[in-house]
Amino acid sequence: MSPLSRRTLLKAATAGGAVAGIGGFSALSQWLTPLMNGGDDGLDAFQPPTAEEIDDAAHVLNRLTFGPRPGQHAEVSAMGARAFIALQLEPEKIDDRWTESRTARFEALHAWPMGELLEYDSRELLDQLTRRKILHAVHSKRQLHEVMVDFWSDHFNIDPSKGDSKWLKPADDRDVIRAHALGSFPEMLRASLLSPSMLWYLDGRVNRRAAENERPNENHARELLELHTLGVHGGYSQQDVMEVARCLTGWTVRERAKSRYAVGKVEFRSHLHDDGPKSVLGTEIPAGLGAGDLDRVINIVTRHPATARHLATKLCRRFIDESPPEAAISKVAAAFLSSGGAIRPTLTALFDTSAFWASRGGKTKRPFHFVVSALRATAARSNAGPALQEHLLRLGHAPFQYPTPDGYPEEAQPWMATLLWRWKFALDFARQAIDGTSFPAGKLVRAAGGEDALAAHLLGRRASAAEMQAAASSGAPLALLLASPAFQRF
Amino acid sequence: MNDRLTTFISGQRDPGGTLVVVFLRGGADGLNMVIPHGDDLYHKARPGIGIRRENLLDLDGFFGLNSHLQPLHRWWESGDLALVHCAGSEDESRSHFEAQDFMEHGGLAAGGWLGRFLRTRPDAGSSPLTAVAIGPTLPECLRGAPSCAAIQSLDDFGLGPHVPAGFLHSLATLYRSAPRELGPAGRNALAALERIQSLDTRDDPPAHGAAYAADPFSAGLRQISRLIKGRVGLQAATIDLGGWDSHLTQSVIMDPPMQRLAAGLHAFATDLGAEEMARTHIVVLTEFGRRVAENSAAGTDHGRGGVMFLLGGGIQGGKIHVDWPDLATQLAGPGDLPVLNNYRDFLAPILTKQAPGSDLTKVFPGHALRDVGLY
Repeated sequence: MSPLSRRTLLKAATAGGAVAGIGGFSALSQWLTPLMNGGDDGLDAFQPPTAEEIDDAAHVLNRLTFGPRPGQHAEVSAMGARAFIALQLEPEKIDDRWTESRTARFEALHAWPMGELLEYDSRELLDQLTRRKILHAVHSKRQLHEVMVDFWSDHFNIDPSKGDSKWLKPADDRDVIRAHALGSFPEMLRASLLSPSMLWYLDGRVNRRAAENERPNENHARELLELHTLGVHGGYSQQDVMEVARCLTGWTVRERAKSRYAVGKVEFRSHLHDDGPKSVLGTEIPAGLGAGDLDRVINIVTRHPATARHLATKLCRRFIDESPPEAAISKVAAAFLSSGGAIRPTLTALFDTSAFWASRGGKTKRPFHFVVSALRATAARSNAGPALQEHLLRLGHAPFQYPTPDGYPEEAQPWMATLLWRWKFALDFARQAIDGTSFPAGKLVRAAGGEDALAAHLLGRRASAAEMQAAASSGAPLALLLASPAFQRF
Repeated sequence: MNDRLTTFISGQRDPGGTLVVVFLRGGADGLNMVIPHGDDLYHKARPGIGIRRENLLDLDGFFGLNSHLQPLHRWWESGDLALVHCAGSEDESRSHFEAQDFMEHGGLAAGGWLGRFLRTRPDAGSSPLTAVAIGPTLPECLRGAPSCAAIQSLDDFGLGPHVPAGFLHSLATLYRSAPRELGPAGRNALAALERIQSLDTRDDPPAHGAAYAADPFSAGLRQISRLIKGRVGLQAATIDLGGWDSHLTQSVIMDPPMQRLAAGLHAFATDLGAEEMARTHIVVLTEFGRRVAENSAAGTDHGRGGVMFLLGGGIQGGKIHVDWPDLATQLAGPGDLPVLNNYRDFLAPILTKQAPGSDLTKVFPGHALRDVGLY
């Protein structure tokens, strides 16, 4: 679609929108009136979507971000959806100092050296990690980066409640997930393999072979193949698991209980390493490589076609559909392989598939996405404190609290049991009853240009007659729209 | 609304019933709750604070129940209450925090054992009320549960008191035509809400002449009872009872929580009645027991083996599970009752009864379960 024809369409749609209002939102206005004298947060008038269906701009905002903020739809419409994608793929070109400054106060997350983390109460660390994640998701302009951080956090999931992970997870979040979210998959995998938090979580720290009869601990090797790389049907054998485990023997982490200095430091202890010859997925690894086995393993698994397919499938499920078409998966997998596991070209290929552009509004938000999108849509301010975190906990999606290595599920069904708590969140949020979180209610309606327009902003398209009717008669229109099926979709 | 309600209830009727986990925080002294009165070494080790034979309720000629636990005696006699002595975990730290974490996580695993159970059981719950923690926060054992809510009372449930008239009707209208999984989920949630609201407004008196005390423990059990009877799909509930850390003047510290424990459980089991109790398992845990010998302040210090109470669920009660150790030669560390019964071995059959086919290797990874024959 040329820019000209899009503008024409916008104009036509706006005209249509003006006459399509159904009875208005009198309840919303009444309801918000007492709040209209609140502080001015500089919310400018903005143009919400005007199309009947989710247009290109609304679609890319849905999929590449945690939901549109006021004015973003117009911005993306003006620059073009593809230009927005290109920009989001280069986060270093996006000025995000405002967000950085808002989260700079979480000083523990910048602790260096690693041992500094051990000085903190582990609950304080979890709180800071959680707040930082929420605030970045809500405010960062590098939205695709944040979405990928969320994706990789689940892919390389660590429940920090295990052992010294309690203290070390912030370093994993910083040095593995955030550092490589749009970078190189092999490098991210290497960072993860040597992450002290992961060495605790998957028992790598006790994977050793100091004596002839000692068997390696397979835990990390198995998850490496099953979850992090090839996938459960990726064609590896139990023998491959054992061989990878042998390759990884000897990597340990200084423990809080045993070391006074350099706690959290990862070390290779050659006397704990099995230095014999190995064979991984049909590739021979000669004896005597010592610590070098690690990079051999990374090479073998990241270049394996099953890894490309596994990651392509997961990415397509996140960005396209729960059951993505085969053609899209193949295309994305090919881009992964030909780029040597570079994440940007892989995503570029994904955003280029016809399936990506064809699947609109067909996915269901996970609870974290739902909460963050509500905050973004309403220009809310939040301290991301206990009250908001309590909602996420009830919704079953508190960051960094998933127990098993497979990470929070991407598909919709497991999240349906907590739909009730989404409605509770919508009601509490809309009446400004979440401690530490608020939004400029009255300004929002005015800035959007009325109630119909605000509804279109929230839903990414003009609300249907039934939706407007339901909102108007609900007694709490904003809460109803946030609780509606359409706002659960993206 | 009635058709919705029926759909929800029939979908949520958990044949396994509800697991109620009571955690006695602070290290409850098992030796003075379930007293080995037939063991002279017990009386010798505790000349000041030991419970004399004339002050206890005999159970089997060797063990006796502390008289402050008297309300539980009736459940022992009816065969609903089983006891596990020298119970505990492998954790030897004797630190409240470490030992509680270890017990609630189920070893050095990540997340809580109850959370893992709820996530991996074949009939994983789809109700927003699948798991409830009574209290201000979620306990570690529920960490990683697919959905759980910490509540003080039923009033915390549902959408709260600020739901405008018309809101639910509007939701029902939109979810009626919602796509894919959202439609059925929305109808389920509305039915659940209906259910909760009928509980809110209809504060039935306890049944079978049960009388709950006013303390938070009894009040919390009452909320659990209402949820169970309300058929809201409750699979697990947790509740804490603290105040057991009896380093000095043991009976001053311990008698009140013992009374609260026994009175609360008695009221709860009475209120639920036989039919409901057959589907309800109550498990009482503590992070560790206490030193065998009393200290100079007429108290006891952190030890190892403690006592578990198992009540209801068709368990074969009237029985104490323990191969009683020689208190002269078989004590652990600085003179503690040893842990002879790993707590997981007693949870495991209960979890299997609640949800047959559960993969217990996922619930208790790294622990080889021992068959203990509870049923």
